[in-house]
Amino acid sequence: MTPEVTPTVDGPPVRRGGSLRGAGPRRSSDFLDAAGFADVPRAGNVDGATMRPGSLRGSARGRDLDSLAHTLFLRIYPVIAIVVLVTQIGIAWVNYSDQIRLYTERANLLAALTASAVARPDWSAQPEIYRHQVQALALDPTFRAVILRDASGTVVTTLGDMPRGRAWDLVIAQADLVAAPEAKPVGHLTLAISAEALRGNAEKQALLALVTSIILMLAFVVTLHANVRRHVLAPLKRLLVAMREVEHKSWVTVETGVRFRASNEIDVISQAFNRMVEGLRTGDEAKQLLKELETAHAKLAEANGLVMESIGYARRIQSSVLPDRAALAGTGLEVGVLWEPLHVVGGDYFWLEEVDGLGIVVVADCTGHGVPGAFLTLIVATALDRILHERRLRDPVEILRVLDAMVRVQLRQDGRGAESDDGLDCGVCIWNRETAELHFAGAGLALTCITDGIATRIRGAKRGLGYPQRPGEVFAVTETVVPVSRGTTFYLMTDGITDQMGGPKRQLLGHRGVADILGAHRDMPLSAQMAALEQALTRYRAGEARRDDMALVAFRTSPATAPP
Amino acid sequence: MDTISLPATDRSPRVDFDFDGGRLALRGESYPEDAAAFYGPLLQALKGYLATVTTDPIVFEVGLAYFNSSSAKALMNLFMPLEDAAAEGRRVTIRWFYADGDETIAEAGEDFAADFSHARFEMVEEPV
Repeated sequence: MTPEVTPTVDGPPVRRGGSLRGAGPRRSSDFLDAAGFADVPRAGNVDGATMRPGSLRGSARGRDLDSLAHTLFLRIYPVIAIVVLVTQIGIAWVNYSDQIRLYTERANLLAALTASAVARPDWSAQPEIYRHQVQALALDPTFRAVILRDASGTVVTTLGDMPRGRAWDLVIAQADLVAAPEAKPVGHLTLAISAEALRGNAEKQALLALVTSIILMLAFVVTLHANVRRHVLAPLKRLLVAMREVEHKSWVTVETGVRFRASNEIDVISQAFNRMVEGLRTGDEAKQLLKELETAHAKLAEANGLVMESIGYARRIQSSVLPDRAALAGTGLEVGVLWEPLHVVGGDYFWLEEVDGLGIVVVADCTGHGVPGAFLTLIVATALDRILHERRLRDPVEILRVLDAMVRVQLRQDGRGAESDDGLDCGVCIWNRETAELHFAGAGLALTCITDGIATRIRGAKRGLGYPQRPGEVFAVTETVVPVSRGTTFYLMTDGITDQMGGPKRQLLGHRGVADILGAHRDMPLSAQMAALEQALTRYRAGEARRDDMALVAFRTSPATAPP
Repeated sequence: MDTISLPATDRSPRVDFDFDGGRLALRGESYPEDAAAFYGPLLQALKGYLATVTTDPIVFEVGLAYFNSSSAKALMNLFMPLEDAAAEGRRVTIRWFYADGDETIAEAGEDFAADFSHARFEMVEEPV
C-alpha cells in the first residue's frame, strides 16, 4: 500500500486542548496510518460510490478518539484529587489541633507546677527559691523561655528568649504565683514551649497527601487509558476501519468475538453495523445486477428497434410490389384478400391482373417467412412478370412449369451446387369471362370452391416449385377446368390460413374448419368475409401464437356480371 | 452409434434417435426458424447409421401436431434414405401419429405415405 499523503482538502488537523495534550496519545488518523490503511484510489467504484471517499475519514480526523480518555481524566480526576486533598488536610488539621491542645495543657501544667513551687511571700528576694525551679523547666526539650514577674509586674528573672508578639511555633502558658488560697497573687509566670515538632508533623502529613494524590492520579491515568483503549478505542477503531472499507464498497464486517471484548454498547453497535453492511452488500449486488440487466435490455431494445425499423421499411417495399386489390374489377370478379405476414414481411405472395381480358389470380407460399420469405417473393414476382408479359403465357400449367424452372435457376438449385433447398407452393387461376370457365393448376396449393356452404377442394400437385429436382422427378402439374356458376366462391389460400393451432383439442383448424367459417359468412361481401375470417381465426387460436404467414385470395363473379 | 436425444422446445420437437435400438422418434411441433440447421445434423446421423449398420430393422415414429413447409421438406429428406434402405431389403417402418380429428396432419401423412413403396408406412390415430 502507498503511504498516505494528507489530503490538502482537509487542511491541517485541528488540535483540541493542545496545552493539556502535550505530546498526547496517538490520534485515530495516526492509528489508521500505522495500521497501513490509506486512501488508495480504487478504479471502478469511484463513479458509482454513494459516499464521497474520504468523507468518513475527514470527520474522524477532527474528532480524536483518544480524547475520550482525556475528557474522562479531565472531568473526573480534579474531583478525586480535591476530595483526597481535602480529606488529608482535614485529617492533618484534626491531628494538629489535638497536638496543640495537648501541648497547651502540658505548658499550663508545667507553668502551674512551677508557679505553685515558687509561690511564697518574698520569693523574689530569695533567688534560691526560684532558681532551681526555673532551671528545672529548662530541662524540658521543648522549653524555649520563661519570665517570672513579682506582684508589681517587675521582671525578677528570665531564661531563654521570649519572642515579641505571637509566634506560630510557640505555645505560651501563664500562671499566677499564689502563696495562699484566696490571697492576692505574689507574682506571675510566663512559659513558652516550642511546637516545632508539631509543625514538622503537619508538613509531613501535607506532603503525604500530595504524594498520595499524585500516585492516585498516575494509577488513575494508567488504568483509565488501558481500559478505554482496550474496551472502547480498539473496538471503535475496528469499526472505523470497517466503515472506511465499506465507504469504498468493500463489504467487510467487524469481528465481535475478539480477545478484549468491546463494551456492551459498542458490541451492540458493531452487530448493528454488521447487519447494515450485510444489507448494503445484498442491496448493492441487486442494484448492480439490475443495472447490468437494464443496460443489456436497453441494448437489446435499441438493436430490436433498428431491426424493426429496417423491416418496417422492407414491408413498404413488399406492399408496393403487391397488386391493387381492384385489379380484376374489369373482368367481372369480386375479390377479397387477406394478406398478413407473420413477421411484418413474409413469404406469402399473391398476384391479381387482367391480361388480354383474362383474370389472373396467383397465390404463392414461399419457404420460410419474414425477411428470407420476402426475398423469395421478389424472385417470384419478377418471374411472374416475365412469364405473363415477356413470354405471354396464359396456360396455368405452363405458367407453373416456367415458374418452377425460373425459380430453380434463379436460386442456382439446378445442379450448380447451391446450398439452398428453397421453393414455393403455388396456385394459378385463369378466369375466362367469355367462356365462364376457370382454369386452375396448383403445385402444393389447392383451390377451394364453396357453393351454398358446401366446400370442395381441388388439390394440385404435391410437389412445390423451384426446389432442386431429384433424379427422375417429373413435373406433374395438371390443369383443372371449373365451369363457373353463380353462387360459387373460389379461394386460393396458403397453409398459414389453415394451420391455426388452437381450439378445444389444441389441434390444427384445417381446411374443413376454414371452409366452415367461410361458408358461415358466405352472404357477406368478400372484403367483409375476409375480416370475419381473420377474427374467427384469432378466436380459434385463443392466445396461441400464429405459426405462419397468411395469404388468401377469394373471388367470385360479381352479381351484376355473373352468368346465369 | 450415439443416441441423439433433444428436449422439445416451443418450435422444435423432442428428438429420440436410439440407433442401437433401431427406434427413432419425433414428437411435438416443428417450425424452427432454420429447419435446415435443426434437421441437418439429424439427417447426417441417420445417413451415417444407415451406412454402418445395414441389417437391423428400424422403426421411425413421427407424431407432430404442426410442422411448417420447411420441416415437411426436412422430413422428406429423412424419409428418403429410409425408403432407399427399405428398397435394399431392410425392414423399415414409419409410424405416422395424428390426433383423432386432425385432418391436416392425417392428410399430410397420407401424402408422405404415397412416396413409400418399400418401407412400411403406418397411420396411427391417437385419441385426444
